[in-house]
Amino acid sequence: MPTDNSLAIIDQAAWEDLVARFDGRMWAVARAFGLSAADAADAVQGAWLRLVENAGAIRDPERIGAWLVTTTRHEAARLSRRARGEVVSDLDVPDTALPDPTAAVVDAEFGRQVWRRLDLLGEPCRSLIRLYVLHPEARYAQIAVRLNLPVGSIGPTRARCMARLRTLVEEETS
Amino acid sequence: MREEYLLAALRMGAGADPVPEGVSASARAVFGLRVPGGVPAGPVDVSVPPGARSSSEAGAAPAGLRRFSADGLVIDVETTVADGHLEVAGQVSPAPGQDARIEVRTPHIAKVRVPSGSGHFAVAGLPPGWVSVVCHRPGHPPVFTRWIHARP
Repeated sequence: MPTDNSLAIIDQAAWEDLVARFDGRMWAVARAFGLSAADAADAVQGAWLRLVENAGAIRDPERIGAWLVTTTRHEAARLSRRARGEVVSDLDVPDTALPDPTAAVVDAEFGRQVWRRLDLLGEPCRSLIRLYVLHPEARYAQIAVRLNLPVGSIGPTRARCMARLRTLVEEETS
Repeated sequence: MREEYLLAALRMGAGADPVPEGVSASARAVFGLRVPGGVPAGPVDVSVPPGARSSSEAGAAPAGLRRFSADGLVIDVETTVADGHLEVAGQVSPAPGQDARIEVRTPHIAKVRVPSGSGHFAVAGLPPGWVSVVCHRPGHPPVFTRWIHARP
């Protein structure tokens, strides 16, 4: 009987189960970076390829989901930086033993809870975050037109609104 | 809590922008890209003497050149994207011999080359995106590089 508990011995059916469980979360994380559909697809595929590369090193199946989400964020951040003209390495990979535990919040039910908290925020936060979430490729200029706000205020306002939302959510979860 | 995770949860909660089937299909297909029994070659810093290759910084490797090493092999891989196609050139050191095969893989297509006497290989006409190189030698486990992302 094999004693190897790593992903190196996973079969096609188990792999497809992983895809079914996590690809939606990985896609949502990649798109949260404002990546185009093509770049988001590359980021997600990159995370799966990293899993293949590191299959023998992942010993705790319970951590695979967190590691996949963490690695997708890593690849998406890299593609986002490169799109801005930065020179980035494409070879550093998150530690297989240390996936980000906060990746667990990437979940549809948790998202519905956050929408309910968002309704507690006033304007323009509610509309701004709604636009930002539902139209990840929208530019600040487009959001400024929709909300009738100065374009220069969108970035700071978005950061302030997200901080308020995060505080509300963390208060609830704690 | 990371902002990107919060945004992603909101997107999932809204049911907006579900993962395209093509992305899921590509993820399922990645399973077939495993190299059973293979040895992963990790990245190695590359530096070249000033003036040896064109580069924006003296002493730095040219953009697109990566070096990997494992099991006594060094695999240099240089990627170039031109006219919408990916070209991959490289060298295996020490030269693995005429019985070896170099497989240059993307998630969609793989091309196999016999390395030259000096261990050089080259492949053109690949789709841009992720690419990896596998060195197959008789009597040895295959050695594969990490996946590299190459787009214009």
